Amino acid sequence: MKRAKAFEYLLRNKKICINEGELIVGERGPAPKETPTYPEISLHSLQDLEILNSREKVYFKVDEEVKNIYENEIIPYWKGKSNRDRIMGMMTPEWIRAYNAGIFTEFQEQRAPGHTVLGCRMFKTGFVKLKEEIQESVSGLDFYYDNQALEKFEELKAMNIACDAIIMFANRHADELDRLSEKEKNPSRKRELAAMAKVCRRVPAYAPETVHEMLQHYWFIHVGVISELNPWDSFNPGRLDQHLYPVYKKEMEADLLSTEELDDLLGCFWVKFNNHPSPPKIGVTASESNTYTDFCLINLGGVKPDGTDAVNDMSYILLDVIKEMRILQPGSMIQVSRKSPDRFIHKALDIIKTGFGQPSCFNTEAIIQELLRQGKNITDARNGGASGCVETGAFGTEAYWLSGYFNLPKVLELTLNNGFDKRTNQQVGLKSGYAKDFGTFEELVEAFRLQVKYLIDIKIRGNNVIEKIFANWLPVPFLSLLVGDCIPNGKDYNAGGSRYNTTYIQGVGLGSITDMLTSIRYNIYDNHKFSWAEFSIALDSDYKGFEQMQYELIYNTPKYGNDDDYADQQALTVFEIYYDAVNGRPNARGGNHRINMLPTTSHVYFGSVTGATPDGRKAYKPLSEGISPSQGVDKQGPTSVIKSASKIDHLRTGGTLLNQKFTPQFFEDEESYNHLTSLIRSYFSLDGHHIQFNVVNAETLKEAQKHPELYRDLIVRVAGYSDYFNDLGEDLQNEIIARTEQGVSSWN
Amino acid sequence: MEGLIFSVKRYSVHDGPGIRVTFFMKGCPLSCRWCHNPEGISPLEEEVIQKERVGDNEFSRTETVGKYYAVEEILNILEREDPFIKESKGGVTFSGGEPMLQNRFLLEVLKSCKLKGYNTAVDTSGYSSSDNYRSIIPFTDLFLYDIKHLDDTKHIEYTGVSNIRILENYRMILASGPDVMIRIPVIPGFNDDDDHLLRLKQFIISTKSGALKRINLLPFHKIGSSKYKNFS
Repeated sequence: MKRAKAFEYLLRNKKICINEGELIVGERGPAPKETPTYPEISLHSLQDLEILNSREKVYFKVDEEVKNIYENEIIPYWKGKSNRDRIMGMMTPEWIRAYNAGIFTEFQEQRAPGHTVLGCRMFKTGFVKLKEEIQESVSGLDFYYDNQALEKFEELKAMNIACDAIIMFANRHADELDRLSEKEKNPSRKRELAAMAKVCRRVPAYAPETVHEMLQHYWFIHVGVISELNPWDSFNPGRLDQHLYPVYKKEMEADLLSTEELDDLLGCFWVKFNNHPSPPKIGVTASESNTYTDFCLINLGGVKPDGTDAVNDMSYILLDVIKEMRILQPGSMIQVSRKSPDRFIHKALDIIKTGFGQPSCFNTEAIIQELLRQGKNITDARNGGASGCVETGAFGTEAYWLSGYFNLPKVLELTLNNGFDKRTNQQVGLKSGYAKDFGTFEELVEAFRLQVKYLIDIKIRGNNVIEKIFANWLPVPFLSLLVGDCIPNGKDYNAGGSRYNTTYIQGVGLGSITDMLTSIRYNIYDNHKFSWAEFSIALDSDYKGFEQMQYELIYNTPKYGNDDDYADQQALTVFEIYYDAVNGRPNARGGNHRINMLPTTSHVYFGSVTGATPDGRKAYKPLSEGISPSQGVDKQGPTSVIKSASKIDHLRTGGTLLNQKFTPQFFEDEESYNHLTSLIRSYFSLDGHHIQFNVVNAETLKEAQKHPELYRDLIVRVAGYSDYFNDLGEDLQNEIIARTEQGVSSWN
Repeated sequence: MEGLIFSVKRYSVHDGPGIRVTFFMKGCPLSCRWCHNPEGISPLEEEVIQKERVGDNEFSRTETVGKYYAVEEILNILEREDPFIKESKGGVTFSGGEPMLQNRFLLEVLKSCKLKGYNTAVDTSGYSSSDNYRSIIPFTDLFLYDIKHLDDTKHIEYTGVSNIRILENYRMILASGPDVMIRIPVIPGFNDDDDHLLRLKQFIISTKSGALKRINLLPFHKIGSSKYKNFS
């Protein structure tokens, strides 16, 4: 109830911002590109504010007024009382050691979970109707036999308040729009403002019936979600082409909407996403997700609930919008099904080849099978898609929280050293022996397996406590309205009220660790080129004085990404170990833990805490990203990379990320589009989950490093999202440059 | 039976339709002045010094250019690329160097590829006996055929060999069934004058058959990086 009332208070007092010329209204902050902080989740110190203000990348200007309020009101009240304090206070010493060592990150230390997408039901339902549903749920409460009845009653009461709050918020906008319309001299803008006011009185109270209404309906919901808390991946309209198509078709057929008006509306809608940066991050959270983007990923294509091809006119129109707008947010992707026409893929390639970094390509059949395997019904599975970077979810019905990244290569580093972390000087892992103690490769792998299990246990224990913390202290009655089946269950989204509740731990560094294990097996156990004694010294010395050895490890050792079974075998080994440790373990919301494999930017952070490694990598350099090969080692072209990446069992994950860099030459004509389409479809026929293309010359990127002022519009694909090259840290910039360019020269 | 191959290229998209695997066979009877694959000229294995860098340090090692492949190995490589070949309706291409220099091996491997259902292409200079071509024609779906210069004298001057049998074989192949795609390397000062281009055009038109599918002009710049232009 407290949270609902706080939500209501916020929406009642938030500054109403109507920007010049815009058609869709509602801002995260008092103005575009401004964002609130959430001290109840995570309290920034004055020093943090200073860092935010002055750091080079992903900075936020903090003015004096904010600093004063922080100093005089916020810090005194919240110090020691933020959710982060609560979380850290309830983690075990083992967890804290592992967290500090960089074994895993904790997603919920500065943000609320979120990780969900609006489904079809809410695009056809207003909040007045939801109030009726709430009432129905309340009437159905059984105070005689259900010992949860009172909790449910309280939750439903809170949800009801949230309904009224969002309707009130929309009306405040309507009032302001009427006021502005009154004052407006320009007749066409005057009409526009009046029309917008009318829309804001209709939605989100009632179901949208026009394109304008639907976009505004969604946007109010979006602002509601990101005002209530600061959930990961903001919020997301999901299968936007599916939702818009019926209202679009109706309006066009009745001649009520011109193409120009449609264009304007969609363009304005796009700008709304771009106006909101993700809330400011500090420390580890900043390193693992070093970007302004708040990860809204619009899905186009896929299949309908009945399994037939879902690509429609709106899919193509939205691709045009993406191409024309060319802004950082929202992200976009195409769901490629076996039934999708080639023409749809080609239209996406048109955009990809300009080097924009989106849309990325996802495999509908893989997504559906992943969801079915996890126990979703076929309709929910077909209505699903991928969000955030690459995470699979049943849109509208699932709470699929990411709980943190897991540093697989670092665990191997610990395994070689009896579980002791030299960097933090702590016993972080199990005492499973030293490298020289492993007489066979199998013994080493077994020790690694035990370490993974031990550290995953620590992470899962932490997750289950943290989930309960959110359930108890930070419920989200507004978000709960939007995701089935919270209302009938009378249960909050953060307490497991949704139909499906999943928790992911994201495995990082598959390419790197595969190369590391292969190198150990090849060089030490199979071919006796080096002994553990010299190897260990080499690693400790960061290869200084061991340049010949490093050369051997890099150039004369089999690598993942070249369709070499000997090397790729270790990817399978690691995958199965990781899968066994995580998959199916219960979470605290009545669901299960699952794995996926994406890094955002954590491969850079995780690299920075990991010393020199057996694949020839120097200390503190970035790790490989997603399931892509280590930077620069794939020398056999894209088909070999795809073959290697296909060997792990994607269908047992909740998403994998594969990045391929191409030069523009690969997109030069219709025929090359056919080849790339074949490449995508082949990967997907092998059950690959996702592939994205980064199209840009290494030359261009190097130039951009030297003259960032000339490349301010340069957007590249990072890891499941695009970002401005200039906003990336230098390490990440270099890492992207090093990612193999599939140009003619590199593998001809 | 084994063939000497100096390079295997996957995701080969400029050597015939679809996604292909191209095997570059070592040895060539021509010595074109603009050749950008000089390692393909000698029919023997060769040693080269390969320099590689790790940070500021440079390392060298000797590498052998040219490796012997049995037919079985070729088929294994193709099988691993099946998902892409099937999806794109691609196939296998034998290029080089000049594949016809190892025509006995070429015949074996083409036969085996056809038995497995692969679309086959041979990228040739045309400089081999017509009997050799006749023996591989039944197992070749596509010829990628170089036409460099119509004047014999000029041809000898720039490639070291006569073009008489090249042009004869061209006509013969065009009438025999397989598809043909011509490639004309456009070398400034050699074959790019208006008069020659016009005669080329007339030659192509006069010899044309339904088998001729495409003509590629390859403008060669200094480094041999090629840009394909389609004109048909």
